[in-house]
Amino acid sequence: MKNKSEWLKPSLIWKVFGIAFFVYLFFGFMLLPCLNTITQIFTAKNAAGEIDPLAVIKFFFAGNMPSYVWNSLKLAICLVITVNVVGISIVLLTEYFEIKGAKVLRLGYMTTLIYSGVALVTGYLFLYDSDGMLTTWLVKVFPGMNKEWFSGFNAVLFTMTFACTSNHMLFLRNAIRGIDYNTVEAARNMGAKPFKVLLKVVFPTLIPTMFSLTVMTFITGLCAMSAPTLLGYDSINPEIVRLAGSSVADEAFPQARAALLSIILALFTIVLLTVLSSYERKGHYLSVSKTKAKLVKQKINNPVANVLAHIYAYVLFIIYMTPVVMIVVFAFQNYPAIRSKTLNLGDWTLVNFFGQQDYEYLTNRGKYKTRVGSISGLFANSDTVGGIRLSFVLSALAAALACVIVVIAVNYIFKNKGKKRSTVLEYSLLFPWLLPTILICYSYRTYFNSNDVWYVFNTNLYWMENVRFLIVMAYTVVKLPFALRMVKAAFYAIDDELEEAAKNLGASPLVTFLRVKLPIVLPSVLAVFALNFNALFTEYDMSATFHSSYGKSYAMVIQNMCAEEGRDGYNINASGRRCASTVFIMIVSGIILYLVYGVGARDLGERLAIREKRRKRVEKIKAKFTGKKTNNAA
Amino acid sequence: MPSEQEKMIELRDIVVKFGDFEALHHINVDVRKGEFFTFLGPSGCGKTTTLRTITGFIDPVQGKVFVDNKDITNVPIEKRNIGIVFQSYALFPTMTVYDNIAFGLKVKKQSKAEVDRNVRAIAKKVDLSDEQLAKAVSQLSGGQQQRVAIARALVTGPAIICMDEPLSNLDAKLRVQLRNELKKMQREFGITTIYVTHDQEEALTLSDRIAVFNKGFIEQIGTPNEIYNHSKTEFVCNFIGDINKLEDEITGKMQLDASCHHFIRLERVHVNRGECDLNLEGVIESREYYGLYIKYYIRTAGQTIKVIEKNDGINIYEAGQTVTVGINREDLMSYPVQE
Repeated sequence: MKNKSEWLKPSLIWKVFGIAFFVYLFFGFMLLPCLNTITQIFTAKNAAGEIDPLAVIKFFFAGNMPSYVWNSLKLAICLVITVNVVGISIVLLTEYFEIKGAKVLRLGYMTTLIYSGVALVTGYLFLYDSDGMLTTWLVKVFPGMNKEWFSGFNAVLFTMTFACTSNHMLFLRNAIRGIDYNTVEAARNMGAKPFKVLLKVVFPTLIPTMFSLTVMTFITGLCAMSAPTLLGYDSINPEIVRLAGSSVADEAFPQARAALLSIILALFTIVLLTVLSSYERKGHYLSVSKTKAKLVKQKINNPVANVLAHIYAYVLFIIYMTPVVMIVVFAFQNYPAIRSKTLNLGDWTLVNFFGQQDYEYLTNRGKYKTRVGSISGLFANSDTVGGIRLSFVLSALAAALACVIVVIAVNYIFKNKGKKRSTVLEYSLLFPWLLPTILICYSYRTYFNSNDVWYVFNTNLYWMENVRFLIVMAYTVVKLPFALRMVKAAFYAIDDELEEAAKNLGASPLVTFLRVKLPIVLPSVLAVFALNFNALFTEYDMSATFHSSYGKSYAMVIQNMCAEEGRDGYNINASGRRCASTVFIMIVSGIILYLVYGVGARDLGERLAIREKRRKRVEKIKAKFTGKKTNNAA
Repeated sequence: MPSEQEKMIELRDIVVKFGDFEALHHINVDVRKGEFFTFLGPSGCGKTTTLRTITGFIDPVQGKVFVDNKDITNVPIEKRNIGIVFQSYALFPTMTVYDNIAFGLKVKKQSKAEVDRNVRAIAKKVDLSDEQLAKAVSQLSGGQQQRVAIARALVTGPAIICMDEPLSNLDAKLRVQLRNELKKMQREFGITTIYVTHDQEEALTLSDRIAVFNKGFIEQIGTPNEIYNHSKTEFVCNFIGDINKLEDEITGKMQLDASCHHFIRLERVHVNRGECDLNLEGVIESREYYGLYIKYYIRTAGQTIKVIEKNDGINIYEAGQTVTVGINREDLMSYPVQE
């Protein structure tokens, strides 16, 4: 009897359920789909219809496939240089040197935090495209100029250089602010000139951060998707997407080739991340100071250098800000103004956001025709609204799912610290970090595009609406490693003694978790949710890989806006809506970042203090109001 | 030995192991009802491990824990009715002061009115105002936080309260101030208190009795006076307060047992007092000025003897001055030399 009741204990049932869930998640949605992709490479059929394990590899070396790899590598290497140069510059200019207007400059340099991916690339296109604003203006000034200058490698490199400095602005900025100013003063005191101090004292403390940023930038370059796709550059990712949608009738084993390319990308990523983590494990230069002095901004004493630094800072500012300003301004302009790229200061409109208008156009036969509702706002256009709604739901679901999974897992990991099973769980959740996003999505697309996968009840998950489930799973799995790292860091803040105190006061493990531990980590968990949601809401790479009309995300809709403008009187204001979309995205991201870093970072004390202040203010207003009333009555 | 009915906590032959490492070797302690009992020792000596065995966070591999003559060795933590004040206070940062104190009562499913009554009653006793109850714990000072921790531990009405180095996170001045408050509160509540510290001054000023731990053993249990003036072992006499070890020349002159080490406390060495069992001529090497007292280093009989003299303006000596150093046989503490 006793044995039976032991067996049926709810905690044991939960444990078995938990283990089953994580095994299912890891094998079903991480390992097996990716293994299937690897086997695709070695089971390709040659021209004679026989399985030839080496067919794809032979094809790889015979054809033009290495050029895609080389293009991606070239982009990654160049990006490492340009992003580091720009990234380090903007951080030094805003945090280390005394530059006039640094606060405004910083805001400009930080704009990439609130718009990135497709929104940013289309913004750049709006400006620099062959009929883009800036290009049109430049051609007017220099008639001999090539209108198509903004395409291919140069365009991708230019766009990504400025798009990928967000991490520098977050992490390198923190690192530089963490420098103990006394070390700078000590070096100056011993006779070192400012430049030498920068080189010998400041830079060495930044090296660990810069190394991590370099590796991450390299991987970003290798796995670039939206910029090469939109700006026309033949790198690995767009080619994988193209091949995934191609058929055997058109070319030789496209699927196997896509698989090979994604595995090559995975190998590069794994090698780079191994290098990074072994470097990180070696330990960093830790500041030994017990009392850190706040960094004081350094004045550039040489007047020429000072002027040059200011010019450089403001040129960068203009590059960062021009697309943002132009997009915001043109989001409120009519389609003729957008078409001709000339500001019409007398005519502002909200039609790119709300409402619809009809469009009258001249047909080939010389008749006027009216296309009803052809001009429509962001929130009135069914396609766009559909994309926003879909992205909103899928991103929210995935971000929430990732948080729930990770919180449960991390709680378990901390409870079983140092035990093998917690290490296994942690590594299995970090596994997607090793894989390029495209490998995961491509693997899902091909593996679940059949009725033969028994553990999803033989359902074709790529078929019609099912693809939405697949997208949610891909979103979730891809975001697990980031969520895990962040939530784990938050759990470190829970003192063991807190758990013991709760236990001592009579709380069960569940009550301890819900009432003591969860409230402590909740701000971090919500931050992870918000940041993941923010990234997924405008995500392009994954939905482009799935490429399904049932999974048309917001970013895909925005991409389409670039192509469909004005065709046969349809979507006349696609460009306007594109600008409005970017404004909308910037507002959403801005609110989320404010909630995460502004509101979410407040502890209970600060919240109570604000509440108290607000209460007093309301009382004051009330007192004034009632006071006036009584006066009036009197 | 305390009589049976007086006993509150009994530890019988407790052995605790962490893997192969034996952290506690056959510990036996009796704590009386209402007593302020301190576990004292250097870090890693087993004092916290013993406390955690009493509270139930650690299961001993051998031995029994009795509270009020009841065996609680296998009773779960939450059912032991022992309150704890942690080293970090372990106040829940996401709750207000009120909610922190109310936590244990809410877990016990007391009615809202009962919770409120109990919280306010205990808050009054530890001197926390209604305004402070509404604050977040991070808005309180270190001393106020300590009072919250004590209130939280006491509100559920435990029979015993355990404190694990509750003053170690505070600065020196506050430590002394809170030490006095702590003692006052304990006296008022009359609750049996187990106190863990590595600070011998804290132990001496607060405790009714002290157990001195070393490497998982208890070296001595006794009143502060017994521990200080009649240290049972060489470790205890060295660990508690400053002390002079007498070298061969002095022990020879006093004809002391050569198979023992002999020690004398600093305040028991007399300068220019005369009429001691041994009077030696010495030269002041240096002095340290403490305000309340002055510490002299005196070179005599081939060794340096440390002496403390009250700073009363009378017996002030300069470096280089020749003085008489007096030692009485009854002030010596002697321990057999261990191989």
